[in-house]
Amino acid sequence: MNGYAAFLKKEMYEFAKTYRLIIMLALSAVFGIANPLVAKLTPEILESLMTDGIVITIPEPTVYDSWQQFFKNATQMGLIVMVILFSGVMSTELAKGTLINLLTKGLSRAAVILSKYTCMVLVWTASIVLSFGLTYGYTLYLFPGEEASNLLFSVFCLWLFGLFLQAVILLSAVITKTGYGCLLITSAAAAACMIADIIPAAHRYNPVSLAADNMALITGAAEPSSLCYAILVSCMFSVIFVLLSLSVFRKKQL
Amino acid sequence: MGILEVNRLYKSFGSHEVLKGLDMDVPEHSIFGFVGQNGAGKTTTMKIILGLLKPDSGSVTVCGEKVTYGETRTNRFIGFLPDVPEFYGYMRPLEYLKLCGEITGIEKNRIRSRSEELLELVGLKNEKKRIGGFSRGMKQRLGIAQALLNEPRILICDEPTSALDPVGRKEILDILLAAKGKTTILFSTHILSDVERICDHIAVLHGGRLALCGTLSEIKERHRYNGFVLEFGNEETASMFYDIEELKHPSVNMSRDGNTVTVLTGDRGMGGNFLLDVLSRRRIVPLKFTVLEPTLESLFMEVVR
Repeated sequence: MNGYAAFLKKEMYEFAKTYRLIIMLALSAVFGIANPLVAKLTPEILESLMTDGIVITIPEPTVYDSWQQFFKNATQMGLIVMVILFSGVMSTELAKGTLINLLTKGLSRAAVILSKYTCMVLVWTASIVLSFGLTYGYTLYLFPGEEASNLLFSVFCLWLFGLFLQAVILLSAVITKTGYGCLLITSAAAAACMIADIIPAAHRYNPVSLAADNMALITGAAEPSSLCYAILVSCMFSVIFVLLSLSVFRKKQL
Repeated sequence: MGILEVNRLYKSFGSHEVLKGLDMDVPEHSIFGFVGQNGAGKTTTMKIILGLLKPDSGSVTVCGEKVTYGETRTNRFIGFLPDVPEFYGYMRPLEYLKLCGEITGIEKNRIRSRSEELLELVGLKNEKKRIGGFSRGMKQRLGIAQALLNEPRILICDEPTSALDPVGRKEILDILLAAKGKTTILFSTHILSDVERICDHIAVLHGGRLALCGTLSEIKERHRYNGFVLEFGNEETASMFYDIEELKHPSVNMSRDGNTVTVLTGDRGMGGNFLLDVLSRRRIVPLKFTVLEPTLESLFMEVVR
């Protein structure tokens, strides 16, 4: 595969130079720090707002509140920002024609697709690691002595769902040629997963469970084994989507 | 056998047929002018040669190897300059050439020296700006540098001068002339003066086929019609010549404008000798007797009409 390493380097460089890497990492860092802090401070903030005569009893915050914040932010803001930042992954190159020069230099089309996917995965992984690391450390400091079960596994599921979503982004970017088209297809795919989740029987197999059952996992309400099919399906579809992207792009007239 | 051969190429977009059995043969070490109107199919042909578009039928060989659509190994022989080359705006020229070099698989030290050499050639040696801030002419020059990086055997330029001002055009043409000898250049354009300035071979694409093809002098020779311009001392002599009975012939077309008479003859027997003969018999001495040279423009007009 000609030029994979060189093109991957260029992708990373581009990510840094166009501020997308900074946005992604800064957001992860902010959330990482804010998650335990918000969990700790929410009762106090509410208390300060309370006027005489109204009494609200707020339970003492626990380590679970901190992780609740983490998964809420990561699955909502985190994933949405990621999709928006990556939606232009192919369209800018195809619209401007910057790829033509490099393809006629012998860069293989497979290298383009795979290095773009690799770059997305690397950025997503770095963001999750950063955000998780900060939340973990800060939670340990603010809620000493408390522990959550299946924490790493739960984060792994979220990470894997990100990979699945990125494969969807990649395929729709290759098919549509425009950034908005890519956003549309990706959102439609995510919506389809969520709608399918209404059917209780589908939940076991639905990739979206990987980003929905995280709290249940760490509180012990769900067993890791309950997600094994969802993991399998997500992996399978990620691979299929990347392979499809490869074959669609190989035949694309530029 | 040419370095680049195009055989019976057909390509249509929807119901619009762009190429209808195009045949072309580019000899090695030539500067080959590929001329045609806008939309004649020049870019389409080039993209097929580069394996970026799929022809409906027909084949292309580069240096004896067949071009396959998608990823083609033949691109290692080719340097390509698109009509409006696009680069990553956040990179500097040296960084971009380094990326190109790495993709081509040139070894590291070689990339550095070759890049500097090429930037010198195209006059961008001291340019430290990011490409995003480049003018069109500068991008075009960087485009040539990247196209020449892998020392290609064929340099394909798609209308390299169309979007440039006269100074920029001259610079690009000079760079291309400088590259001659090291590589074969296929150069598409609709600016005929550019072709006359640097090309030794020319092909005119019209109606999806080559309407004209050959060396510039060959084509002119082949299309030399018997045209003469005679200028006389005064209008009377001119009209006297104009009214000569022997010249009233269906294959002779004459027009008079003041002292000047233009004679176009379709009959080889009624060429220059015949006219001189007539003149001498009538004892008329013209001030000027000029043989009409076909210009590339007149040829082009004739072909595309």
